Amino acid sequence: MTRKTAGLPLSYRLAVASRSLAALLGGYLLASLASVCIALVAPLPQVDATLTGLLLSFVFYLLAFIWCFACRSAWRAWLGVLAPSLLLGLISAIAYWMKNP
Amino acid sequence: MLGIALMAFAGFVALCLAMEKHFSDLLGRKPRPGQLRLLRAAGWLLLLVSLMLGVNLRGWAHGLVEWTAVVMAGVTLWVFGLPYQPRLLLGLAAASLVLGPLLAVFAV
Amino acid sequence: MKEGFRQAMAWLHTWTGLIFGWLLFAIFLTGTLSYFKEEITHWSQPEVRSHALDPVHSLEVAQRYLQDNAGHSGTWFIRMPNEREAALSVGYRDAKGGPRGFVSKNLDTQTGQPVEARDSRGGEFFYRFHFQLQMPYPFGRWLSTFCAFIMLLGLVTGIITHKKIFKEFFTFRPGKGQRSWLDGHNAIGVLVLPFHLMISYSSLVLFMYMVMPAGIMASYGNDTDKYFNDLFGRNDAPKVANVATPLVPLPSLYAQVQALQPGARIGNIQVQNPGDSNARVTFTQSAADHVAYRRSANWTFDGASGALLSQGKPESGAMMTAFSFAGLHMGNFAGPWLRWLYFFFGVSGTAVIGTGLVMWLGKRQLKHAKSERLPGELRLVEVLNIASMSGLLLAVAGFFWANRLIPMGVEGRADWEINTFFIAWGLSLVHAVLRSGRRAWGEQLALGALAFALLPLLNGLATGQGLNHSVRVGDWAMAGFDLTALGTGLFLAWLAGKMLRRPKPVAKRPSRAAKKPSTETAEAS
Repeated sequence: MTRKTAGLPLSYRLAVASRSLAALLGGYLLASLASVCIALVAPLPQVDATLTGLLLSFVFYLLAFIWCFACRSAWRAWLGVLAPSLLLGLISAIAYWMKNP
Repeated sequence: MLGIALMAFAGFVALCLAMEKHFSDLLGRKPRPGQLRLLRAAGWLLLLVSLMLGVNLRGWAHGLVEWTAVVMAGVTLWVFGLPYQPRLLLGLAAASLVLGPLLAVFAV
Repeated sequence: MKEGFRQAMAWLHTWTGLIFGWLLFAIFLTGTLSYFKEEITHWSQPEVRSHALDPVHSLEVAQRYLQDNAGHSGTWFIRMPNEREAALSVGYRDAKGGPRGFVSKNLDTQTGQPVEARDSRGGEFFYRFHFQLQMPYPFGRWLSTFCAFIMLLGLVTGIITHKKIFKEFFTFRPGKGQRSWLDGHNAIGVLVLPFHLMISYSSLVLFMYMVMPAGIMASYGNDTDKYFNDLFGRNDAPKVANVATPLVPLPSLYAQVQALQPGARIGNIQVQNPGDSNARVTFTQSAADHVAYRRSANWTFDGASGALLSQGKPESGAMMTAFSFAGLHMGNFAGPWLRWLYFFFGVSGTAVIGTGLVMWLGKRQLKHAKSERLPGELRLVEVLNIASMSGLLLAVAGFFWANRLIPMGVEGRADWEINTFFIAWGLSLVHAVLRSGRRAWGEQLALGALAFALLPLLNGLATGQGLNHSVRVGDWAMAGFDLTALGTGLFLAWLAGKMLRRPKPVAKRPSRAAKKPSTETAEAS
């Protein structure tokens, strides 16, 4: 038997694992923060803004997944989900403090 | 709704025939460039009119849902039936072209 | 870079499709069955007879029964019979009665008394399984919702990967081995794409409050209940006044609803504090009347005076969007022909997953066609493929056989029907391990064919309501079930024939398979 399937290098396996975690966990973080941001920022009644945030959150999760496996490296995967998350988190925090002084 | 379904079916068949490969395979001859364009226009027109009739008959909510459903059903029947019964399906499409508008306009 | 992107998406599509495919197949199959859950329940409890629909009479019957038996209870529920549900269901809160302090009964509208039907979950079993997966709350819901997300991901990555999506829109070439499987997989994916996208995304919408709570928490803080009250427009439950006042006759309130919304079908009625001066009666319109769920389609009356107190608040745009997705998923609005189309599209979604699983293995099996046995991991996939597909079908058939064979009075009868389902499924897994791939497929499909095709006969012998009876009296739910079972049996027999008759395929052109032409599903390996 050739080393076809058993021969995948460890670095490859680690990269896949890292991208998967970035997608699963980082993506969920991004999606959650997007829904939070929309809920707090959207110029709609409270219930409608929250609802819109929920509805759109999955689009962010989907995009995060695609990014994490399309980008050039596992590092870029994490960067691509954490950086926007940070930005959304900041905007959400500002919006929250503006609503609750 | 049946008339609308038949019109949409005919529309999709027209769009299929508007592709040179399918035209040659199904009709056994080479198409003239004008024919393909005509088929494509007729196809989209049939789809659009059937959609408008559907919404007019059943309202936006039910109309859109039912139109989408019959379109998906029709095009699935076409694609999976084609390798087995091309002539039967072409005949069905031709009949739909006539029956569709008739049923849509005169029946409920 | 474009090449790289498509290849990456193909890789993602293939691997997420494999890992979650087995579970998704089960979710889709049981979900598809759920579109006929009322009909399945009707078949499972043949003792519940259909009568001509008479809402006024049903309400009188229900009110009389509840007044006689649930006068002490603070809350009554009534579910009206309709074209698809023969039973008049009543329920009431009773701390001493039933599981979770709730008593539920099916009443016969002619006698006004509870029907003694065999204890069975019927279609509700498949319905609940498809989103709870028989796991303790809330784990099943989390898992099934995550699977729905993976399905959506699979659809999107599939679209990205399918380079010739427009060129090959009408393409299906049978009889060409792996090419045909791919054509078929692509075709049922693309041609029914609106349905697949809708069903996957709407599954997420249905449980989004649970899986994505961050938005609700950020906006509503500790008072998350307020979100649901805002969303559904709930009023606070009325306090008991402890002044005995007879409840107005429910038909009088029904007449008021008909005046406000002519032609409205009523889904259910809730009575709070019956027999008290602070009684409230809420009529909710049947979900079958609108595509979207409508929070506005309910009317609340004063139970003592009969005066209309409020109607449900109108929906905002965002609400209509969310409620539309929910309504589209549930398909309660679908009449007979549209319901059959829902069923057909559900089957096609199941087939997308199934063909994908078969192809995943088939492609790799070609490389090992010359060797004695498959390597361990491929053998695992093969066993799981067989058990999750033909095995699941055997489990479904087993459930129905158990329903007809387990005697009426047996304690925990309903649970034993479900146990049969899982035992059959487990046995199919064992069988798949013990037999070679092709033979396991063939034998399970053949057994499945027999099990389904013989159901109508079993039904007729066991209940006397077989096809000869149901067609004659026009009981189309019963007849439809038997005919569908027969049709399924014939289809499985055809499949079994293909598996059992043809000899084991040898890789005809090993050089071409090894060359790996640039198909759109090129994957990293």
